Amino acid sequence: MNRWLTRRWPVPHWPSIRGRGRADAGPLLLTAAVIAAVALLAGAVPALLRTAADNAVQDTVRRAGHDPNVLVHANWERDDGPTGGRIRIPRLPEDIDDFRARATYALGPELDAALRPPIAVVNGPSLSITGGTEPRTVQLIYLAGDRGGPDVTWIAGSAPGPAVPGRSIEIPYNGPPWPVQVGLSEADAAALDLGPGDRIPARDGQGRDKDIRISGIYRPADSADPAWQLAPALLRPVPGADGVGTTRYAGLLSRESLPDARLAFDDDQLRRTVHFAPEPDALTWAATAPLVSQVVKLKATSGPSGVRDDSLRWESQLDAVLRDARTQVSAASAQAAVLLAGILAATVLVLLLAAELLVRRRTPALSAARQRGAALPDVGAELIIESAVVSLSAAAAGLALARAVAPGVSWTWAVPVVLAGAVAGPTLGILAAARASRDRRQPANPGARRWILATGQLRRAAVEVAVLLAAVAAFVTLHERGLLPVADGGAAELTGDLVLPISAVAVGVLAGALVVLRLLPVGIRFALRQALRSRRPLAVFGAARAATTAGRALPLLALVGATALASFALVVGGTVARGLADGAWHTVGADARLDVGADAEAATPALAERIAAAPGVGQVVVAQVTDSARVFAESTLLTPRLVIVDAAAFQGLLAATPLPDAPALGRLSAPGPGDVPALVRSSHGDLRAGTRLQLARDDAPAIRLVAVGTAPSVGGADDVVIVDAAALAEAGLSAVPNTVWVTGPGAARAVSDSGVAADVVVRADVQRAQRAAPLTAGILRLAWTAASVLLALGLLGLALAAAAGAPERWQTLTRLRTLGLRPRDARWVAAGELLPPVVVAAIFGPLLGALLARLTLGPLELRLLTGQAADPATVLPWGLLGLVSVALLAAAGAVVPVESALRRRDRLSEVLRAGE
Amino acid sequence: MSSGPLLSVRGVHRRFRTGPTVVHALRGVSLDVAAGSMVALVGRSGSGKTTLLNTVGGLDRPDAGSVHVDGTEVTTLDEDGLSRLRREKVSYVFQSFGLIPVLSAAENVAAPLRLARVAPAERERRVELLLELVGLADHARQRPAELSGGQQQRVAIARALAASPRLLIADEPTGQLDAETGLSVMALLRGVVESEGVTALVATHDPVMMALADRVIRIHDGHLDEEAAGRPDEPTPDVR
Repeated sequence: MNRWLTRRWPVPHWPSIRGRGRADAGPLLLTAAVIAAVALLAGAVPALLRTAADNAVQDTVRRAGHDPNVLVHANWERDDGPTGGRIRIPRLPEDIDDFRARATYALGPELDAALRPPIAVVNGPSLSITGGTEPRTVQLIYLAGDRGGPDVTWIAGSAPGPAVPGRSIEIPYNGPPWPVQVGLSEADAAALDLGPGDRIPARDGQGRDKDIRISGIYRPADSADPAWQLAPALLRPVPGADGVGTTRYAGLLSRESLPDARLAFDDDQLRRTVHFAPEPDALTWAATAPLVSQVVKLKATSGPSGVRDDSLRWESQLDAVLRDARTQVSAASAQAAVLLAGILAATVLVLLLAAELLVRRRTPALSAARQRGAALPDVGAELIIESAVVSLSAAAAGLALARAVAPGVSWTWAVPVVLAGAVAGPTLGILAAARASRDRRQPANPGARRWILATGQLRRAAVEVAVLLAAVAAFVTLHERGLLPVADGGAAELTGDLVLPISAVAVGVLAGALVVLRLLPVGIRFALRQALRSRRPLAVFGAARAATTAGRALPLLALVGATALASFALVVGGTVARGLADGAWHTVGADARLDVGADAEAATPALAERIAAAPGVGQVVVAQVTDSARVFAESTLLTPRLVIVDAAAFQGLLAATPLPDAPALGRLSAPGPGDVPALVRSSHGDLRAGTRLQLARDDAPAIRLVAVGTAPSVGGADDVVIVDAAALAEAGLSAVPNTVWVTGPGAARAVSDSGVAADVVVRADVQRAQRAAPLTAGILRLAWTAASVLLALGLLGLALAAAAGAPERWQTLTRLRTLGLRPRDARWVAAGELLPPVVVAAIFGPLLGALLARLTLGPLELRLLTGQAADPATVLPWGLLGLVSVALLAAAGAVVPVESALRRRDRLSEVLRAGE
Repeated sequence: MSSGPLLSVRGVHRRFRTGPTVVHALRGVSLDVAAGSMVALVGRSGSGKTTLLNTVGGLDRPDAGSVHVDGTEVTTLDEDGLSRLRREKVSYVFQSFGLIPVLSAAENVAAPLRLARVAPAERERRVELLLELVGLADHARQRPAELSGGQQQRVAIARALAASPRLLIADEPTGQLDAETGLSVMALLRGVVESEGVTALVATHDPVMMALADRVIRIHDGHLDEEAAGRPDEPTPDVR
C-alpha cells in the first residue's frame, strides 16, 4: 500500500499545547509583542510613505512655480485681404475661445482632471518705451479664461475699445501704425506718468513706432487671480524681465481691442497661448505616470513651429517636474526600504534569540515528551500550532494598529517577521526533541571526532561564505544598478530586482557581524591566556566563561547587527539633517537675504547701512543679482545668473559662513586694462576659465568680460557669472543692488524690520521648510524611529541572550562558589562572561554602521531630499553613536545585578540539584 | 584543629515548602564523623541524602540544629564565612563533574588554588602532584571534552583535593559513570582519603562504595535509621 495512505497525520495533544503556553507565557508574549510592534511599523511605513508621496508630488508642483504649466501654442489664421492688405478680424476673441476649448479637449480626461481651467494669453512683442533715462519695455497682453478675463475696476477712463467701428476692414501693409487701445494698471500708469487718452511712446525692434493709446486705468478686483500671475507686468512694473536694468510694463487688451492689436504688429508677432496650470491638490503619486506619459505624447504630436497652420504645439515641463517628483519619491522609498530591511533583519535575529530561549526552557519537557513516546511530527505540529497562533495574531494586531494609524497598510514587509516568529521556535524545538531521543554519542575514536568537528566547521564556513558572497553581490548591484527607480506600482512597493540592493546594508551588517564572530573567540582565547598568567582568579574565570560562550552566534549577530543598523540609521538621519542645513546656506547665501523690489532698489545701499547698524548683525553685502542675464560666449547666448558685487566683501562673507570659500574672488577686484574679470560657473561646461564673454545691454554696447576662475555657487543656480561692482562700473555699467546678504544672530530680525518692499528669505525658515517637506520629514522621522527601534531590539537581544545563558552561567558560578568564590566575586565573573560580546558590539557596531553608511549613502541619493546639487557629505554623529554604545554597555551592566538579585532567592543547593 | 569529631551534626531539621505542602527533608538528624574516615550515606531518592550533604557543606541552612566542621559552626556563618569555609575546609565532588570546559585538566585542578591565592610555583607543584595522584599526569593539558567521563571525575576529585580540604563531600560521584569506571573512581576516593588524610562524606546508591566506606549511614524519610560499619579490613582496590 502507498506509504502516504498509511501515514498517520500528526495528532497534536491540546493539553500539552495549553500547558506549554501557560508555562512559557512570558517568552511567548515577548515574541508576540516584538512581532506586533514590527508589524505595526512595517505595515504603517509604506502607507505613510504613499501619503507622503502624494504630498510630495503636490509640494514639488507647487514649488515649481510656472514650470509645470502646460502651454499650448497655435498660429493665427492668416489675415490677408482680397486687395493685398490685411483684414481686421473682429471675431478674434471667439477664435481664442475656440483655441482654448480645442486645447482643453486635446488634453484627455486624466490630464484635464489634474489641471486648472485654462487661461488663454495673447501677447505682443516686447516694445521699447522711448524717452526717459532707464531702459523700459512694454507688452500688450490679452487674457481670457472660461469666464472672460480677470475682473478689473476702471478707476479712470474706460475699457479699451475698437480702433474703428464696424465689422471688417482691410488696411494696407505699409500703412501708418494701426492704433490700439489698452488699459494700464495703477502702478504702471503711475510709474510711466501716463493717463487715459495718453499714448505710450513705444517702438518695436525694427525701430517702428507704435500707436498705443491708453483708454483707462484699472485696478484688479482680485490681484491673486491666477490669470495675473501669467502676466505680472499687468499689475505692476517688473524689473529685469527684459535684461539687466530694464523694467517691463504691460497694457491690457480687451475683446474689442484685440483685433486692433493683431493689425498693430506684423502677422506673426502676436502670439497666442493657452496656459493650463496644474491643480496640485488633484495630483497623486499614482497618477503621475499616466500624466507624464500624456504630456510626453502631446509634446510629441506637436507640429513643427515653422509650419503655417493652426495645429496645436505643446510645451510643458510638467513631465520633467513630475519625473523629478517621482525620482524623489523613488529615492525616499528606497531609503525607507533600506531602513525597513535593517529593522526586519534585526527583528528576525531577535526572534531567533527568543526562540532559542524558549527552546532552552522547554528542552527538558520536550525530551520527557519524546521519552514518553510522543512522535516527532506530533511534537512539531503542537509547536507550529502554538507559534502560528502567536505570530499571526500578533501580526494581525500590529497591522490593525497600523491601519488605524495609516489607512491602506501593506502587509508585505511583515511577512519575514511573521515567518521567523512562526518557524524559528518549532524548528529549534523539533531539533531539541529529536536530539533528546537520538542515540548519537560522541565517538570514542579521535579520528571520528575530528571528522565530526571538521564537518561542522565546513558547514558553518559554507554558510558564512554564502552570506559574504550575498553581501558582495548586494553591494555590487547597489553600486552598479542603484536603487532608482522603484517599481511603478507605488511607493515602497518593490520589485524583485531591488531585493538584493535594498538588503545590501542588512546583509553587509550580517557579513560584518560574522567576521566579528570569527574574531571574538580568538580575542577571548588570547585574553584567557593572558589571564591564566596573571594572579587574578576572577580574570581567569571571567575569561573562561567568556571563552565558553564566545561561540554562540546568535547573541553576537543580534547585538552587532542591531547596533550597526541603529548606527547606520543615525548616520542617515544626521547626514540628511546636515544636508538640509548646508542646502539652506546655499539657497540663501547668508543667515538672511533681502530681495529688494524694483521700487526700492535705489534705496538698497542706505538700507544695507541701516541693517548693518542693527544689533546682532555680522556682515552685510549688497549685490545686483539678475537671473537669465543675456551673456554671449562666442556668439552663443547664455542666460546665467549675473551677480554684481563688491568681490572683497563677498569673499569675506563666504569666509564667515559655512559656505565654501572662494579665493578666486580676489582676482576680480585686481585693477588692470582690458576686459572685466569674471568668475564663472556652469553645469554644462559652457562657461570656464579663459572664456571671453559679452554682457549684452539695451541701447549700449556690450561689456566684454573674461572668465578668470570658477565662481562659487550662488543660490543654487546652475550657471553663474560674478563680476566686481567697481570693475564693472569702470567699464560703464553701474550696479543697482537688489539683494542684501546679512549674517549674524540678529540677521533675521534686522531684515524683517527693513521697512521696504522686499522679499525676506531667512535661512532658518528655508531650512525649516525643507525639513518639513513631506518626504524629508518622513525619512527623517523614519531614520530616528528606526534607530530607536533597532537600539531597543539590540537591548532586547542582550536581555534574551543573557536570559538564555543564565541557567548555565549561574550553575557554573554556583560550582565556583562551592570552590570558595564569594558572591560579589561571582558577579564579576558573570560580567566577565557577558561583557565581551557587548563591548565588541558597542565598538564594532557603530563602526560597522558608519562604514556601511560611507559605502551606501551614494546610491541612496540623499541629495534628492536635501535639495543639494551634490550628495551631502556623510555625517557621523559620534555623540549619538556613542550613546548607542553607552546604552548597550549600561544595559549589560544592569543585567548582572538584576540576574544576581533574581538568583539570590535560589539556594545554592537548588541550583546544583537542578543542574544535575 | 579540634580534638573531637571532624564533623558534628546535632538535631538538624530542614523543611521545604512546595505550595501548601511541607516536606520534612531532615528530622532532627545528629551525626558525628571522625577525621580521616570515609562515610557512605545511603538511602532512596528523596530520603534527604543531598539535603544533609548541602547542610553540612553550608550550601543550605537548616531550620534548626547545628553543624560543626573542624570546629567551625557552619550554620552561623555569613556568606563570606561560608566562602572561606568552602575554600579552606570543605570541598565537593558532583555527579556531573562541573569542570570548566575551556580550561585544561591542570587549570581546572588549579582553580581552587587560584581562589586561595596560592603562589604560582606552589600551585603548579600541587596540581602536578594531584594529577599524579588521580592518574592523569599525562592528560594535564587536555580539556574536559577530550577526556572520558571517568577521567573527568578524576579531575573533579583532584580539584576537590587541591586546597587540602578537611572534609570532602561527594554527591553520587559515580552516578554518570559505567560500572567499571565507577569502581575505579570509588577506589580513587578511598585511596585519596587514606593518602591525603581527608574525611569523606559520600552519598551513594552503589554497594561497592558502601563496601569501601568506613561507615555506612542509612537515611530514610529524614531520619538516620541505621548505622553500619563498612569493610575497613578489605584491601583497597587499585585506583589507577
